[in-house]
Amino acid sequence: MVIIGESIHVIAKAVSTAIKERDAKAIQDLAKAQADSGADYIDLNVGFLRKDPEETMQWVVNTVQEVTDLPLSLDTMNPVAMEAGLKVCKKRPLLNSASGKTDSKEQMLPLAKKYNCDVVISVFTDKGMPSEAESKIESIMDTVAYANELGIPNEDIWVDPIVLPVSTAGEGQKLAVSNIEFMKIIEDVLPGIKSTVGLSNVSNGIPVELRPILNRTYLMMLARYGLYSAIIDVLDKELMGICKGERPNIVDLIYRTMDGEEIDLSSLSQEEINYVKTTKVLTAETLYSDAWLET
Amino acid sequence: MEYRAPIESYSGVVREITIGKGEKALKIGGENILPFHFFDEGSLPNPPIFALEVWDMEPTDWPEWLLEPFKDVVSDPIKWAKRCENFGANAISFYLTSTDPATKDSSADEAAALTKNVAEAITIPLIVYGSGDDKKDAEVLPKVAEVCDGMNLLIGPVLKENYEVVGKAILAHGHLAIAQTPLDINLLKELNVKLCHFFPAERIVIDPLSSALGYGMEYSFTLIERVKQIGIIVKDSMTQMPMIANLGGECWKTKQAKESKEQGLLWEGITALSLLLAGANILILRHPEALRLIKETIGGEIWQK
Repeated sequence: MVIIGESIHVIAKAVSTAIKERDAKAIQDLAKAQADSGADYIDLNVGFLRKDPEETMQWVVNTVQEVTDLPLSLDTMNPVAMEAGLKVCKKRPLLNSASGKTDSKEQMLPLAKKYNCDVVISVFTDKGMPSEAESKIESIMDTVAYANELGIPNEDIWVDPIVLPVSTAGEGQKLAVSNIEFMKIIEDVLPGIKSTVGLSNVSNGIPVELRPILNRTYLMMLARYGLYSAIIDVLDKELMGICKGERPNIVDLIYRTMDGEEIDLSSLSQEEINYVKTTKVLTAETLYSDAWLET
Repeated sequence: MEYRAPIESYSGVVREITIGKGEKALKIGGENILPFHFFDEGSLPNPPIFALEVWDMEPTDWPEWLLEPFKDVVSDPIKWAKRCENFGANAISFYLTSTDPATKDSSADEAAALTKNVAEAITIPLIVYGSGDDKKDAEVLPKVAEVCDGMNLLIGPVLKENYEVVGKAILAHGHLAIAQTPLDINLLKELNVKLCHFFPAERIVIDPLSSALGYGMEYSFTLIERVKQIGIIVKDSMTQMPMIANLGGECWKTKQAKESKEQGLLWEGITALSLLLAGANILILRHPEALRLIKETIGGEIWQK
């Protein structure tokens, strides 16, 4: 799996401060730590950059390129900042991201063609975020067809079904399931297409100590159906171990749980029990609560 | 081709709970069908019950047509409770409003003594609600539980903030708990899981919070409906408790109920009927005419099936 490191993200106070104060070392430390942990791409989520979009984006790109040869994933909704970043990338970057929204189709997708880069396309459209797997597929097929007409082949497109928090009352679990369904179908309807997800969002909003197991479990579930890449916390060693295929027993247990097998918990370790319970939450077999590991 | 109506049969059962002791005892829950699905396989052994509200102090913000049936007894909770019993309530829901630091901040001892007197004076079960101030309730409700030891009252609200201290006292003195969370199924389940680490699930009633018609009732409706479905169809043990819809207060504080008596009665009646259809097992009302209205609407014979 292609791993994109998520740590350089303006939501983190340290990152937004470092960008504002042009503190190169802080940004470079994060880039190096992720490169050392085995990231394949470094995501640069710089926000919208209302002020000095071009200069700021180029500073971030160049700052990171001074310490790593890894390709970059340029993550902004601002097409001006995006183009400025694409101009100075040394390796073929990933444009993160475009969508089916009119603005995005008109301003972001042409950049992917112009700079001959890979591009993430999400299922968003002008109508919002489709919630069912079928409507996600429908909307992504429309946008991919549009990209193909611009001359962007499926092989350069990484579709993103959009991961949302599983804890969202009522809807979160359905959405988690819809992404699994999406992954099952996507390769058949769009041959050669690649895929990615912003994994950590699945556990957004829940107690911080409970987040890793949700992230890890969901990644294994999506990977079962061929997820090509993921934007993740590469500093989570356990998660990286999973990506490298170091936990085949856990993977097997998760698959059996997904298939509805009655698993005898009494023969399992606490860690294994936790993975079974977490899988059942993510398949919506059991109702979510923050106490899901306690029952 | 002959048409055959599909008949569903589910394996989940809502826990049956008995409120009150001896001759006052009343059962709720126990159903293994969805609300009013008498055509399916299974039964609803205990019809939903209706409680009327009584306060431990004179209400100041009730419209005159709501106060009218009780106006000579509102300063005496015991007489008020007996009056409600005569109006045909199946239970009394007693509010310790005066203990709220924002009203009279009356003491836990006073509240507990009064609660015991009310409980002893009536021949139907008693539900007790603290003020909802989580810190004050953590003093008041354990005292109520202790003074009313063994009476098997239904006591709440047990909240995320105070479930340990309140829950332990309720259990130690042989009562039942109302677990209350703010209109969210995930939080509702979480509180039940945490409470059940030391508290028997067989002694819990869920209060998912009820909203009035036009003020978010559809949220309460879908939540109650979903809790019931997950309990009966999916068999999630943490949602298989009976539910209480505390709706009277919500209805009578609406603009519409304050404008006219007729609107108030309809507001309370329609909200109650809706939440009943969603699956509530206990409904708390304020106005005896609304109680009569809804009982007439449902009719008695439906429960004989």
